[in-house]
Parts: sequence; structure tokens; C-alpha cells
Amino acid sequence: MSSSRTAIGLRGIRKTYGKTTALDGLELDVKEGEFFCLLGPSGAGKTTTLKTVAGLEQPDSGTVELDGKDMRGVEPYDRGVAMCFESYALYPHRSAYDNLASPLRSPRHRLPAADARDRIAAIAELLGIGGLLDRPVGQLSNGQRQRVALGRVLVRPARAFLLDEPLSHLDAKLRQQMRAELKAIGAVQNTTTLYVTHDSVEALALGDRIGVIRDGRIVQTGTREEIWYQPCDTEVARAFGRPRINLLPGAVAADGGFRSADGKVELPISAAASPGTEVLIGVRPRDLALGEGPGHELTGTVYVTEVLGRSVEVTVRLGEQHVSLVAPRADTAGLRPDDPVRLTVRPENLLLFEADRPERPGRRIGR
Amino acid sequence: MTGMTGLTVRKRLLGWLADLALILYFVFALFPIAWMVILSLKPANQLFSTYFSFTPTLGSYRTVLGDSEGIPFVRFFVNSLVVSVGAVVLSLVVGLPAAYASARWRFKGSENLMFTLLSFRFAPELTVIIPLFVLYQKLGLFDTYVGMIWVLQLVTLPLIVWIMRSYFADLTPELEQAALLDGYTRKQAFFKVALPLVKPGIAAVSLLAFIFAWNNFVFPLILTSNEAQTVTVGALSFLGGDRPKYNLTAAAALVSVVPPLLLALTIQRYLVRGLSFGAVKS
Repeated sequence: MSSSRTAIGLRGIRKTYGKTTALDGLELDVKEGEFFCLLGPSGAGKTTTLKTVAGLEQPDSGTVELDGKDMRGVEPYDRGVAMCFESYALYPHRSAYDNLASPLRSPRHRLPAADARDRIAAIAELLGIGGLLDRPVGQLSNGQRQRVALGRVLVRPARAFLLDEPLSHLDAKLRQQMRAELKAIGAVQNTTTLYVTHDSVEALALGDRIGVIRDGRIVQTGTREEIWYQPCDTEVARAFGRPRINLLPGAVAADGGFRSADGKVELPISAAASPGTEVLIGVRPRDLALGEGPGHELTGTVYVTEVLGRSVEVTVRLGEQHVSLVAPRADTAGLRPDDPVRLTVRPENLLLFEADRPERPGRRIGR
Repeated sequence: MTGMTGLTVRKRLLGWLADLALILYFVFALFPIAWMVILSLKPANQLFSTYFSFTPTLGSYRTVLGDSEGIPFVRFFVNSLVVSVGAVVLSLVVGLPAAYASARWRFKGSENLMFTLLSFRFAPELTVIIPLFVLYQKLGLFDTYVGMIWVLQLVTLPLIVWIMRSYFADLTPELEQAALLDGYTRKQAFFKVALPLVKPGIAAVSLLAFIFAWNNFVFPLILTSNEAQTVTVGALSFLGGDRPKYNLTAAAALVSVVPPLLLALTIQRYLVRGLSFGAVKS
């Protein structure tokens, strides 16, 4: 599927709007045929990145490469990329059909009318908007408009698809369904896709690789496993997984182990840090188990339990800290607040970070 | 009746007073028009009678529209149409791209350019009329359609550029960006996406500009003599001669009000559509 050739390459892209810096030396490599998810909070520079690739924004410095060719001075319509805008950017004076047909009627992607009709029908069917094609886009709901906007991208051949939160306005059920279907669409499988989202679940589900963007810079790129098991810092660790990762503040003890700030939690780790270094130890809620088991043992008391369906989120007080864990419902039967509990965690599931600083989140310094 | 409180009485009284004030203003505002209508219906020998009774006649209209008295009123009327429509069309051709460019891109001196254009609207025409007169005489533009259409750009162009600029600014640039990525050039994006979306604005501003051009008095007064003279100046011709023919002037003025009036009635619909356009856009 994905080869090693770089389809989209961004080298040291800087872009400022007045005094605000949108992109700050952004580096990005998207491989040929890859589905790459760009994840970040709003204002991180995701949309600017897409528009820079598309040629709609000119970077102050740095180069955009498509299939290895420098795109400086190449107009958007000559870059051969298709983009789905977060605002949909549908032509309000035209019907859904005419919106979908727009690329296929343009001088660069023109198809004979009959072929265009077939393609549009196929894509509309795929996106579940087949019955809406005659309507003016003004009469469509937000979810329907978003699918028309996605269709306008998928209907045409492209060197790369640039998708800016294409599922954000669908209702939860439809979003989940579309998420599952999106990657199965032939056009998407065959085409390099740069997908922007602020939803970590979406990124984990869709991305062959994920890039985490923050303040106009890519802070980490990797497969979902790399991002999940080896987050580069506490903020990336916090961005993925609900409930959030537990981060206990403490310091490296004289014996090289971890001792929590209140002294109530001790974990024998092998930290590559000198004693006294302030650290955070991270453990994901699903990696903490209730009761006896292999690994390190911790004791605490139940603070609160919340049923999530078949599993239960239990918040446990460990000294002065709270940690959450997710356990099967059967294991938590009869747990009441203030009941003493034993927790176990496998050593390989512990992540060690530097303490957060005001200017930057703490970096990971060990497993 | 004792149940009726002083408050409701006062409310009702205030309502009557408001109605009365409105009626008074209405009379005040419409009186000149009513007076003109009466004047235009009076026969020439009863023009200066001070009492209100007269024998109404359409003779004045017949004279004015029949080009009698040696004054080619119909030609003035046609001149006005040609010159005003021509000025608006030229302003649209030149002004729409200008409005679009200034709404979409900041370029060096763009704001100064726009302000200069606007200043044509608030600078009195009389300040430039004498140099213009001399220029027009030398260039052979004096008393020509081309000359009038050109000089009326001072009236219509700033209006069209400034109003259309705000219409274009209200359109999200992402629509044209989408068109660019669909494979259209910038020019095609302008013509196929941006322009159709500001149609209500174009209609409204064209009608407005037409009325301004039609009503202009100073330029035709100084820069035309006979061939290209417009109704605003031409209607005054009836005041010349051995004695002023107020009835003919009134009839001519009323006839010349008709096109702007008709357009003003149509503009209302377009203006409402034009103004609500921004609100319904997603």
C-alpha cells in the first residue's frame, strides 16, 4: 500500500498573519498512498497547513513539495490536489449535483457528461446523498452539506486529498459509520490523503500514521502504536485515550525508583534521570487492573465509580492523588466509596516524563 | 367611562398627535409635487391666477412630448437614458473587477486608491468643472455621449466600487478557493462563483447608480449644449424665451421623474434581497 516515496513534503514552513505565527518551521512527510492524520487543537495550524499544501496560502518561508517537485509559483489549480473545507465551501447558488459536478466540468478534470453522471451517482450512493442531488445546497442539513463537500473531493482524480475535519458536523452515529467507510472507499485507498482532525479517536481509527501538531509545529509523527505507547511528551499522552492518562507527580528517589510527591506511591522503575529530578509517571486507565496480578502493586481507596456500559470507570485515591482506571463491570461489583482496593500495573505500561514546565509540557524520558 | 384611566386617554391622545404630525410632514413633503402636478395641468392663461379654480388640461404634456416650442424634449429624454445607462454599464465593467480586487487582496496603495475613489463622491463637482470644460472643448468631448458617460463615472464608479466591495468582502474566499481546487482559474472562479453570488447586489447598486446619474445636473449643464443635453437641464429650457412657461417646465419635470421613480419602486425588492443575502448565507 504505502511505499517509501514522499508524496507531500513540507520543509521548514513558516507562515505568519500579522503578529500571530500560524506555522513555525513545520516539517511534514506524507508517503505515497498513505492516509496521514494531522491531529491538533484548534488554532494549532492544521487548516493553514492544508491550505499551504493546496497553494491557497503562500508560506513566508520554506518549501512545499508534491511528488518531489517544488511547488513554488504553481497555482492551486495546477497542483492536482483536492480539498474538503471545514466550512464546506459549497457553491450556494447551485444544486448538490452541480456542486459535485463542478470539478468534472472544469477545464482540468473534464469528463464527458455521461461519465460524470455515473461517477457522481456512484459517489453520492457511497456517501448516502443519492436522494438529495436535485436540492439546492441551502436546503440541506449541515451533515448533508458536509457529505456533498466530501463528495466533491472524492469524485475526481487527485494527486492527494486534503480533508479538513470532513466528518465533524455529522451526528455521532453517522460519523462512526462514515469513519469506518471512508477508508474502504477505493479512491481513498489509492490516493495519498492528508486528513485534519481534532478528534484523537478519529486519528487513531483512520491514520496509517499520525502527526501531532501544536503551535504551528509537528511535535510527533508515528503510527498509532508509536503515538500511543511512546508519546513524546505529556500533552501528546493526554491527547489520546479517554479517560485520560493518569499522570502522578513525583521525583526520582535515591535508589532510582519513583516516589510520588506525597510519598504515598513508590514504584521501582529504572529512570534515566538523576535522583531528585521532578517527574511525572504516566499510566493509562486501561493498563491499571483491579486486584491481584502480575506487575507492581499499589493500594488506595475507592473515590467514585461510574458505569460506562459494560465497563466501569473507577476513580481511586492514591495518597493525595486520584487515578482512574477502567475495569470490567463484574470486577467492580460491590465497590463502595472509601473501600480499600489493590491495583496492579505491568512495568512495561509505565511511562516516565519530565515534570511539566510553564513553557513546554514534560518530555518522555523512559518507559 | 370613569373606568378608563388617565393613562389610556393619554396614550390615545399621543397616538392622535403622532398621526397628525405624520400627516403634516406628509403634506409638507409632497406639497411641491402636488403643486407641480397642478401647475402642469393649468392652461397657460390661468397660470398666475391666485385662486384655486382652473380648467385642467393635458396640453402642457402634449406640447412637451410633441417637441413643440422648438425644444427637443424627447431627445433630452433619450439622451438621459443613453448617458445614464451607458455610465452604469461602463462603471460595472470597470468597477466590478476593481471592487473584487480590493475586497480580496491588500496591495500597495490599495486603501489610498479606494479612498481617492470615494473622495470623488464627496468633493463638489463644481471644483473640477472649469478645467473639465476646457479639457472637453479641446478634446472634442464637449456635448457628446462619450464625454457625458465618461464624466458621469465620477458619480457612478465610486458608488458601484464601494458597495460591491462590501458584497464581495461578505463572500467567504473559500468559495473561490474551492473553485481553484476544482480546477478553475482565478478568472473562472470570479465569473462562475463570485459574480453569480453578488447578483442581487449588482442589481441594487446599478439601479441606485442609474438614479444618481439621471439626477446629475451640473455636468450636463456645463459640458453639453444641445446634442447630448439631458432632461435635468433640458427641462429648464421652457423657462427661457419671452415669458417663462412654468406649466411646460412642470410637465417636463414630472415626465423626467418617471424612469427613476419606476426604478426606485423596483429597487425596493432588490434592496431587501440584497441586504438579507448576507444573513441567509451559511
